[in-house]
Amino acid sequence: MASFRSICIIPLFITLILNLTWALYEDQVGKFDWKRSFVGKVKYANFESKRLIVATEENVLASLNLKDGHILWRQLLEDPKEQQINALHVDKEIITVSGAANNWFVRNWDINSGTLLSEWTLYTERLVPSKFIITKNTLVHVVPLTGSHLEVTTYNLQTGENYGKTIRIAAPWITDISNCILTTNYYVCISSNDNLGQLYYVDVISESNIVHTRPVQSLIGDGSGPIEIIEIEGDISALLLVRSKVAILVLLDGENIDAKPFNLMPNAICVLNEDRTLIFQLEATDDPKKLIRVKSKDFVNGDDELSIDLDYPLGLGAPIILAGQCRGSSCDLLLTTTDNALLLLKLPEGKILWTREEALSNIVATEFFELPVSELDASIENEFKTSSSSILNMLIHRLSTQVKQLTNLVIGGQLLSNNGLVRDKFGLHKIIVVATKVGKLFAIDTLTGSIAWSYRLPNVKSFNSLNTKKMLLFVQRTARYAPLPAQCLLLAEDSNTGRGVLFQFDPITGFSSNGIERLNYKIAQALLLPYEDEDNSKPVIVLSTSNEVFLYPSTSRTLVYQHINNVFIYVVDSVRGLLRGFSFHHSTERSLKVSPTWEVRINPSKLVALSAKHPNERVHSQGRVLPDRSVYYKYVNPNLIAIATLSEDSVHKHVLSIYLVDGVTGLILYSTSHKRAKGPVHLIHSENWLVYSYFSERFRRTEIVGAELYEGHLQSNSTVFSSHAVSLLPHVQTQSYILPANPLNMAVTLTERGITNKFLLISLSNGGVIEIPWLLLQPRFNDVPCGPEESCIPYMPEVPLPNEAVINYNQTLGRISGIEVAPARLESTSHVLVHGLDIFYTRVAPSKTFDVLKEDFDHLMIVLVLSGLILASYVTKHLASKKALKQVWK
Amino acid sequence: MSNKQLNRRIKWSLDSVRINRVSTEPLAAPPAYSSSNVGSNNEVSKKTDVSRLITKKSWDLALAPMKQVPMNLFIMYMAGNSISIFPIMMVGMLLMRPLQAIWSTKATFKMMETSSAVLQMIVYVLGNFVNIGLALYKCHSMGLLPTHASDWLAFVEPPIRQEYLGGGLILS
Repeated sequence: MASFRSICIIPLFITLILNLTWALYEDQVGKFDWKRSFVGKVKYANFESKRLIVATEENVLASLNLKDGHILWRQLLEDPKEQQINALHVDKEIITVSGAANNWFVRNWDINSGTLLSEWTLYTERLVPSKFIITKNTLVHVVPLTGSHLEVTTYNLQTGENYGKTIRIAAPWITDISNCILTTNYYVCISSNDNLGQLYYVDVISESNIVHTRPVQSLIGDGSGPIEIIEIEGDISALLLVRSKVAILVLLDGENIDAKPFNLMPNAICVLNEDRTLIFQLEATDDPKKLIRVKSKDFVNGDDELSIDLDYPLGLGAPIILAGQCRGSSCDLLLTTTDNALLLLKLPEGKILWTREEALSNIVATEFFELPVSELDASIENEFKTSSSSILNMLIHRLSTQVKQLTNLVIGGQLLSNNGLVRDKFGLHKIIVVATKVGKLFAIDTLTGSIAWSYRLPNVKSFNSLNTKKMLLFVQRTARYAPLPAQCLLLAEDSNTGRGVLFQFDPITGFSSNGIERLNYKIAQALLLPYEDEDNSKPVIVLSTSNEVFLYPSTSRTLVYQHINNVFIYVVDSVRGLLRGFSFHHSTERSLKVSPTWEVRINPSKLVALSAKHPNERVHSQGRVLPDRSVYYKYVNPNLIAIATLSEDSVHKHVLSIYLVDGVTGLILYSTSHKRAKGPVHLIHSENWLVYSYFSERFRRTEIVGAELYEGHLQSNSTVFSSHAVSLLPHVQTQSYILPANPLNMAVTLTERGITNKFLLISLSNGGVIEIPWLLLQPRFNDVPCGPEESCIPYMPEVPLPNEAVINYNQTLGRISGIEVAPARLESTSHVLVHGLDIFYTRVAPSKTFDVLKEDFDHLMIVLVLSGLILASYVTKHLASKKALKQVWK
Repeated sequence: MSNKQLNRRIKWSLDSVRINRVSTEPLAAPPAYSSSNVGSNNEVSKKTDVSRLITKKSWDLALAPMKQVPMNLFIMYMAGNSISIFPIMMVGMLLMRPLQAIWSTKATFKMMETSSAVLQMIVYVLGNFVNIGLALYKCHSMGLLPTHASDWLAFVEPPIRQEYLGGGLILS
């Protein structure tokens, strides 16, 4: 009977949950969400009539429209961290060779649709460096073995059938693989990088396999500086010998070797144009307006055919020609830049047809910014600020602002002078500042998804922490303080020295008054203080690897010193397995100093995940109401850090341990362990709860655990929270569930005041981002009944993942690397940005939009009915008085 | 025993024979007829009677709320503790009626014209308070009174943070 009841109840609850989640109607698609797709940094490109076929470092094969640069189709191959595309050949079909070490996939793709036609694997027993030559029907696998020989194996391209024995070519002249290249049929090496070097080349496809040799000096001539050998794009047997940025083209043809008597740039490419081969190269110009000159040269004698100065967009890095295509006099060149942008250049007009910012496929830091108020609102606000001086001043000010408003009204459009980047009522229009791996900053408008500005930081790279790339982005001042611009601070690493880089800028305009500041120390950690100085900007404390403390801006030293006893910092060393907490107690007003206060060693376990609470999170409800109407108070410790470690165990293989550590005192408040569990571990830490997921080897499934911390029926101190005042350890409630999916990232929604329910956002390996109400995962009390009367969903072991809960509906997102959440000013709504190979932005409302009228609210109807009623009441009043008058006369 | 029976018989039997014999004597007054003088005492008795009636009436009025208590208890019992429109309406009525009655005590007792009837008023108000008490008890048992800590939870301010912590994984 009980089971029958539960059978009846569970579907009821599932429908309840469905009501909790918030699906999209068909006509809402794209209304407030947008998606931008990227392919990553292009490695190989090939023109194919009206389209471009590109293979990228993100292990992606894609086809781009030649006219506008849009993606026609995109195929994601294996994880780019492990495997890479190594060869691309476009004929009637596309052939790719991708893989790593000794395992290669040879794939055959349809050009029009991008569907996979066939696939076979090439497996070698040894881990050897590999090069591939693809001809019409054969795939030649070339394995150079340093100081010994070349192994050449030929396969059927379609079937993978081995055409015969592996040919070995004795090649003791291979000294360094970086000095060797493969150009069409020839394997070419130089023995050393100086004038004494010899150039060896061998045709690996022909039967003879004769090794030809020639002194490098005879080809490149005398000179000083190291000589490099590089490939040249285009289907010719040629190579470039480069010395001090001057390249010589060397043609190979059997026994003959021909060094062209003209100089080239190292980034030159060859393009075949109706039986003639042209060489294209890029040069820098002195003209500050047109920085780049594109030149084409005749292949035979090196005469200049064409020289055009380009209107090269500012802010892009130095370009390299990737591929080209010529038809008669018009040519298309595909350029890629140091900041991973992709450009299509049309010749002979010298026009850039389109630009793709592929840097956005690798976002390492994100921050949402509120926009400044419009000019009109700002002038009204100023009226109240500056009016304190005198009455006359007030009058003048008032009149001037009103004249301004009037002219605005008459002329119109003036209000939108700063690109329409104006704050709206609900804070739904924001600007997202993202920092990318190559060190380029972008500001993206949340309404349209367009790029408001971009800024390239040269020689900057991201930090590396726990296998993820990261930069630090701090909001020092928001746009709320009208005359003062918003201010943001980016911390990154110098790619040459490894020292810190600091960049302070206005997130709304992208303007930086100080420019890039290279620091003379390495950054260990940084901390944004919650205190505002007289300029309303929050100071940032930066800790160097040698535990020195730096303050930005340094003028706020006295302010920081006032609060220094309440500020703490912790640093986690994942390599040494060490957690350390520092205080600033020994600082003086002149100099800030850190002193270690606690230390936790997690050795020999390996740290796999770390999560602190969002610094801006607000917890509205201080307790949970039990069915007997008493309160069970939450233990809300904002200084709590959650840590997940994995350790090897002889019996249980892997043991996952979870710790909750107070970051101020170092006290471990809670710890638990799961046997036979392994990564990937994802942690979400919010309010008084923690959710983590892991893979259970025992049941071969992903499990997700919710843990909640409670103080008990009495709150020890309801006015102030201090980590030092620990009277009792919190009670912990836990419950675990099965997650029938493979999670990649997890995040939790964040709202302005924390009144709205919480949703977990989980990105899945199938490219979807799903929202799960926290209520579903919240641990149920054992001794408390759970049912609809208590508004409690009974425990279900498996977390339901209905399709309606996928926030990106049918738009699959590729390789999701992070989910960023920010509150809107509307309590019910939070902004969500999902980044990876695609960028997807949407808004979620976990408790539905309870604070706004529905979109389909009938304003007209209400107005009509009301005005009708008012009219009717007047008419009847009139009629009634008339009737009364008549009656009197009777 | 027999004597008593006799007496009783005399009391209820009319002697028809004696009528002829005693004709000169005035006729006995009909039963329940009082021959005592009515005229002289008329005014006074009328007065005392009305005032007695008024006090009686005013006491009736004063005790009316008390008399309602059992009825209200029965209604409360029937209404049950579930929160839906009818029980809420009933509780509302239970609560509103005595309040209104207390408010209009003076008006109610004005009908009594003469006497000030302070005691009755006090009793009346007390009776209404008893009814209010019953209604409040009902509210309490229905869970409508904010008597628990949980009812004030939404107004509890979050504790002020004493320490501020930042940091994270070492950046290398």
